[in-house]
Amino acid sequence: MAVDSPDKVIDRSAKLAFSFFLSSAGLWLLMAALLAYLAAAKLTDPFFLSSFEFLTYGKVKVAQANAFVYGWGGNAIFAVSLWILARLSQAEVRGSVFLIFAGVIWNLAITFGLLGIMDGHMSGHEMLEMPTEVWPAMLISYLIITFLALVIHRSRQVRETIAPQWFILAALLWFPALFLIAWNGLEINPARGTLQTVLSMWYGQSLVWLWLTPVALGAAYYLIPAILGRTIDKYYLAIFGFWCIAALAPWSVVHHLEGGPVPMWIPAVGTVMSIAMVFPIAVASTNFHSTAFMDIGKVWDSLPLRFVIFGTLSYTVSSYIGVVFSLPAVAKITQFTIINEFHFNQRVYGFFSMIIFGAVYFALPRITGREIPKAAKSFHFWTSTLGVLMLLLAYLIGGLTHGVLAGQPTLPWASSVIQSIQPYFLITKFAFIILAFSQFVFVVNVWRVIFPNPFAFFAEDKKEASV
Amino acid sequence: MNNLAKFTIGIFFTLGIAWLAFVVGARSQFGDLVPTSEVLDDDGSVPEDAELFPIAFSGIAKQGAEEYAALGCVTCHTQQVRRVEAGFDVERGWGKRPSAPRDYVLQKHVLLGNSRIGPDLANVGLREYSDEWLHQHLFEPQSIFPSSLCPPSPFLYQQIDEPVNTDIEIASNNDPQDNRHVRPTVRANRLVAYLQALKQDYELPEVSFVETEDEPVEEDVVSTDVSVASSSAPQWLQEQIDTGKEIYMKAAPGGGMCFTCHQQNGEGLAGQFPPLAGSDWVLGNKERLIKISMYGLMGEIEVNGVKYNNVMAPPGIPPGSLTDDQIANVLTYIRNDWGNSASAVSAEEVATVRASLKGRAPMQMFTAAELTTPVQ
Repeated sequence: MAVDSPDKVIDRSAKLAFSFFLSSAGLWLLMAALLAYLAAAKLTDPFFLSSFEFLTYGKVKVAQANAFVYGWGGNAIFAVSLWILARLSQAEVRGSVFLIFAGVIWNLAITFGLLGIMDGHMSGHEMLEMPTEVWPAMLISYLIITFLALVIHRSRQVRETIAPQWFILAALLWFPALFLIAWNGLEINPARGTLQTVLSMWYGQSLVWLWLTPVALGAAYYLIPAILGRTIDKYYLAIFGFWCIAALAPWSVVHHLEGGPVPMWIPAVGTVMSIAMVFPIAVASTNFHSTAFMDIGKVWDSLPLRFVIFGTLSYTVSSYIGVVFSLPAVAKITQFTIINEFHFNQRVYGFFSMIIFGAVYFALPRITGREIPKAAKSFHFWTSTLGVLMLLLAYLIGGLTHGVLAGQPTLPWASSVIQSIQPYFLITKFAFIILAFSQFVFVVNVWRVIFPNPFAFFAEDKKEASV
Repeated sequence: MNNLAKFTIGIFFTLGIAWLAFVVGARSQFGDLVPTSEVLDDDGSVPEDAELFPIAFSGIAKQGAEEYAALGCVTCHTQQVRRVEAGFDVERGWGKRPSAPRDYVLQKHVLLGNSRIGPDLANVGLREYSDEWLHQHLFEPQSIFPSSLCPPSPFLYQQIDEPVNTDIEIASNNDPQDNRHVRPTVRANRLVAYLQALKQDYELPEVSFVETEDEPVEEDVVSTDVSVASSSAPQWLQEQIDTGKEIYMKAAPGGGMCFTCHQQNGEGLAGQFPPLAGSDWVLGNKERLIKISMYGLMGEIEVNGVKYNNVMAPPGIPPGSLTDDQIANVLTYIRNDWGNSASAVSAEEVATVRASLKGRAPMQMFTAAELTTPVQ
């Protein structure tokens, strides 16, 4: 028997945890897709399922965001971070039992959290709408997983760390800090008045900027050189980009409060920092794209990399658009419009999810030893691209329409402003159908590789049981 | 970067600075705001016996806030009027002034929101909506605004086949025969109490009312027969009422001389002139009122179950000379004095009715029978 290469040993050690987190992430992705469709359908026809209280628009919309960020995002972050950290540390994943135990708690907490939302126990804090009862379970399970990820990192063979490790470790560590700050400020020592809003907005937006974003950036920093077989161009800039995000992002997220009932310095400093964000965006964009465009043919041929580059391009574009929309003169029009949906979906679908898809397609064959058919991946790529572009264009154009019409005080609200953007909701409904279809293909791809023969699996169980 | 401990300290340091600013700093800056009076004394202290604002919600309104949060209304509705230079909110009539941090200090759930698929609700209690109107809107927003995207909440209501007075009638857009009756559950009542309590109708030392010239827009409402509880009417409505009262009382060109028959107290004269106070005609359909104000009325008319038979010349000096604006104002006035409380009449509505009567001979008075026969 030939000795396995170290990578193979590592991949094998990661298999159980990776498969568990990825398959649960897939289920949450489908759940979020279903909820997204319901929410979009309710905006095109308010009477759709309107007699069910637990499916009223406000609840479905919030449940969708939570299922997406914590369910799909959380599980995907665990899967991808553990594997990339293990690979870069050249250390095996240990304590899989604890990882899966914590993962089960995490998933149960989110399940109960979503049920709580639908049952009418929504808290009203942005991205912390799940009832407070499930927060301890989320935090504890998260800390167990993070601890085991840090154990992998601590047992690394090479002392030197590189960009993917910084981004992923920072994201893993930032989340519990944000969570505790928000928990303290909203529930334990609840702030009064609009301080609550400042804090919950800061938390909700930071979740995207300091948790989802760095993991996706880290994955891109790992995958692009790994697949292309060349080093990152102008890599010396990466450290600057990293610390810029660490220092600026927590400040920039509050510009959404422009003009609101908070002290004026809060949105003002948010706007200034948002503008300063052009530096880290430019760094990441240069690193990724000048490397990728040296060998663009190879990028196109490798489906994982195609996903990743779609994600990094989306990151660049969306972040620059975000900078423009944070300017007070523009925010006057776009604030409170469905442009917010554009930002959110651009980040979580167009950027984060696309990079995660790429990472999964790269990692899964190595971990399981089974290849995913190219046609299936390609189909997933094109349907995702179509769905995402449709969705984002609809929200962008619809959002601008929304803002411009709302800014004309003589236009009646429902019969003029909202009616004018209704066609865009119809487009988003179709986009969510396409995306749901696309994500279904992704989950089937993943599950077929993880459980190539589910019936044999059960048959084995039976055999064992009968023995 | 290679030492995990130093790295961790570094990333928590950057996060910590922002935390210091937004959490610790903001808290020390405006975390201890308390209610205060509209105007402070010269030395900056609260005058004795002054009323303090904001006032706390009543118990039922607080429960309504829980319902509002639980139903996710904040997904589509903000509760913040932006500063004038940052948005159109005041112009749109969503508030008399920008919201201030102090407005929210007594609220448990501060639901500022960040999306406006629905209108801002910071001052929904200031708009001239009756409880019935809000119930009808909650039950089925589309029965009022056909193009609304607001989700109906039938689960907050009981459908009633044999209604009593307190039940809410949901007018059908197409056929009055299809009108439904619903009875609000206690949850619906809480929500309505909460919505009615949402108002920033006081000034604070740090923010005063914004002067606006334009009247805010009125939505194209299908059901116009909406009664109002206008203990504190918005400014534009108050202006209309005040001008209308002048016309009502004036016996000179530009006036309506209405008081000579209907009396200053709106009670009319028993057996001769019908009352306006509490009158089903005054509080009801606006179109009939507008027609009477243009052409006058003759013959038998039944008001609140009592029959009158007299002649009302077209109001105005000379008769029939009131302009659209004047009619709108005087009708708004009679719908909102002596305990009456109904939606305002706009000059546009009067103009529409006038256009529909084009060709009718001047001074050709209406009869009650003509007005009550439905015309398509």
